[in-house]
Amino acid sequence: MKICLAQLKVNEKAVITSIENIGPIRRRLLDMGLVKGTQVLVIRKAPLGDPMEILIKGYNLSLRKDEANHIFVARIND
Amino acid sequence: MKKKIVIALVGNPNSGKTSLFNELVGSNQKVGNWAGVTIEKYEGSLEYKGYTIKVVDLPGTYSLTTYTPEELIARNYITEANPDVVVDVIDGSNLERNLYLTLQLMELETNIIVALNMYDEIEKQNIQINIKQLQQILGSHVIPTSATKNKGLHSLLDHVIRVYEADIVIAKNKLYFREEIEESLQKIKEIILKQPNIEGCASWLAIKLLENDEMIYQKLNKLPVWLRIEPLLKATIQEIELKYQTDPEVAITEDRNAFIRGAMEETVKFNRVIKKSLTDRIDSILINRILGLPVFFIIMWLVFQFTFVMGKIPMHWIASSVTVFSTWIRALLPSEILKSIIVDGIIAGVGGVIIFLPNIVLLFIALSFLEGTGYMARAAFVVDKIMHKVGLHGKSFIPLITGFGCSIPAIMATRTLKNRGDRVVTMLIIPFMSCGAKLPVYILLIGAFFPPEMAGSILFGVYVFGVVLGLIMAKILKSVMFKNQSEPFVMELPPYRMPTLRYILLQAKAKAYMYLRKAGSIILIASLIIWVASNYPRDYKSENLINSEISKIHSSQTLTEEESEKIKWLENKVLAQRTKESFAGRLGSMIEPAIKPLGFDWRIGMSLIAGVAGKELVVSTLGTIFSLEEPKGKPFNLANLIKNDKGFNRAKALSLMVFVLLYIPCLAATAIFKKETSWKMTGFFAVYTVSTAWLASFIVYNIANLLFT
Repeated sequence: MKICLAQLKVNEKAVITSIENIGPIRRRLLDMGLVKGTQVLVIRKAPLGDPMEILIKGYNLSLRKDEANHIFVARIND
Repeated sequence: MKKKIVIALVGNPNSGKTSLFNELVGSNQKVGNWAGVTIEKYEGSLEYKGYTIKVVDLPGTYSLTTYTPEELIARNYITEANPDVVVDVIDGSNLERNLYLTLQLMELETNIIVALNMYDEIEKQNIQINIKQLQQILGSHVIPTSATKNKGLHSLLDHVIRVYEADIVIAKNKLYFREEIEESLQKIKEIILKQPNIEGCASWLAIKLLENDEMIYQKLNKLPVWLRIEPLLKATIQEIELKYQTDPEVAITEDRNAFIRGAMEETVKFNRVIKKSLTDRIDSILINRILGLPVFFIIMWLVFQFTFVMGKIPMHWIASSVTVFSTWIRALLPSEILKSIIVDGIIAGVGGVIIFLPNIVLLFIALSFLEGTGYMARAAFVVDKIMHKVGLHGKSFIPLITGFGCSIPAIMATRTLKNRGDRVVTMLIIPFMSCGAKLPVYILLIGAFFPPEMAGSILFGVYVFGVVLGLIMAKILKSVMFKNQSEPFVMELPPYRMPTLRYILLQAKAKAYMYLRKAGSIILIASLIIWVASNYPRDYKSENLINSEISKIHSSQTLTEEESEKIKWLENKVLAQRTKESFAGRLGSMIEPAIKPLGFDWRIGMSLIAGVAGKELVVSTLGTIFSLEEPKGKPFNLANLIKNDKGFNRAKALSLMVFVLLYIPCLAATAIFKKETSWKMTGFFAVYTVSTAWLASFIVYNIANLLFT
């Protein structure tokens, strides 16, 4: 079963497997380093539950569920 | 003749690019806007070893695609203005992400120098970077710098000169994409190279075409050669899809990232002990799920206090200086008309704008501080969900809150919003955030018509009404005018840093300068127009009659109290008469039929027209007109007069408050709005605020009439 970034819980680690083609926003996501094979760690969710903060390529990035729903990941256990 | 070198600074946001720029050129800088957009443009120059070096600070970007206007500016500048050297400022403590932009600069095949900035932090974090190796991989000089500590700048400039003079050149390196893409790039490049009419770097254009870049596509698709390029692109798309189940755009990005990963492995050694950084610890308190929102509101409240409470003191100084200056000029000028035009027209109008300068400066000091520390991004993170519901961006919150003080700094604060749709919609709803100048109107009307125990709730109600209506309007405007323009919230939360005082002051100075220069010109003209409209035409005959009456009373040796009251009354009468007979007054009477459904007569109409110059003028104009109807000898109390006036009641008072809250903001704010948008948008702004005000007042008036009678 495919899971998306938005489904991850705080402190969960995963690796990106693919991004859906969702129009020009995908360009932005790619430029920010959200590409296949990149590791992500969920740091926290905003007080109202959305957006979320992730650690990627050594920096902290926030994105909304709207976007995170189109990024597919595989959990890493360690 | 000195040799002139043009260098462009590019880099990710938060890479310390602006600090580097400030250290390089010092105060010797010019601030403007990039043509056609309100993104600030910083330029400066310095003398170094016999060269004049012009430095252009390009907007901070993560990439050189066309996703944001900043990216487009940076990219167009490099490809079109052809700077001699491009200095790529990278945050050494965040090398992996920063190198992504460097790779795109390499693809452009320009002269690059990499400034490995924040080198002190790298050393502190115990990260070891093999600079020699990195130079080979990137095919450019890599110079460690610490802009805030003024380290490495000479070395950087020395290398700028060397690269310019083609002295010790490092062989340019190239990133190889996967085979299928390279083959396709080669073919496209060959076609492009044979076209003399296509300018620019052929291999870069080829990459952009495969990346499905809209701008490059537009540039080439009308040329006959497109017929040869298009099938190649299609074939590559098919091939990549078949082999990798994705498209060339993704494949190219993946290959860049793979290249960076390789470069990182070869050059960087992390001796970092994995422990919670200071930023993580601060964030686990400031933006945690429970405290996040309260902390946000407290910080916004502090900004508001800082701006408007601290601003009051210098505001007062400016106001009294303007008064002193006016009195001095008034005494100096020979004729009455000249006095009036210069003092009541120009000085009052322009002075009224300068008075907001302390607010502007303080607000931008506070905002640059928040931006510089990194909290601004967190604030947006915390409230984004609320703003997202009405179609706006988390960052829209800051201008809206500022709007409670004054719309002018609020409109200017929308500059922090990147997306044009978000920006315009935010500006359009700012007037509904009730500004400070509207407060006297509410206080007068609430004091006159409502018992003291209700006053607070009514006042609060007016503010809430504005906010709710503003958010509803945002939702409507966003879905009608800027349907598909939504800024996604893909935003970096940079590590917390202490901004330098210099950075904050330079930011504030730039904003203050822009405000004065831009508002000054329009306001000057508008003040003159308003002055003429409220002073002409004049009935000199009857004015002279009253004036002679005044001087007759003056001629009696001692003035009794009754006599001086009478003089005051007569003087008011002249004023009131002049106001009523003026173009503005006539307009007030003319629009009476239009505002009758709201419960307003010509006197309110006239005040509302005067209020366009400044909302507090609604009260003073009502004062002038009502003073006429004052029975002589009684102390003047506008609230009492209004209360006992037949033309006023509770419902009308509520209706007037709503109208004042919503209709077109003062001229100064509208002028700033125009400067930030266009005449067309400003026209819409005027029509939409006035019609919203009319409709809302009409509803409120009719409901209140049912309730109170």
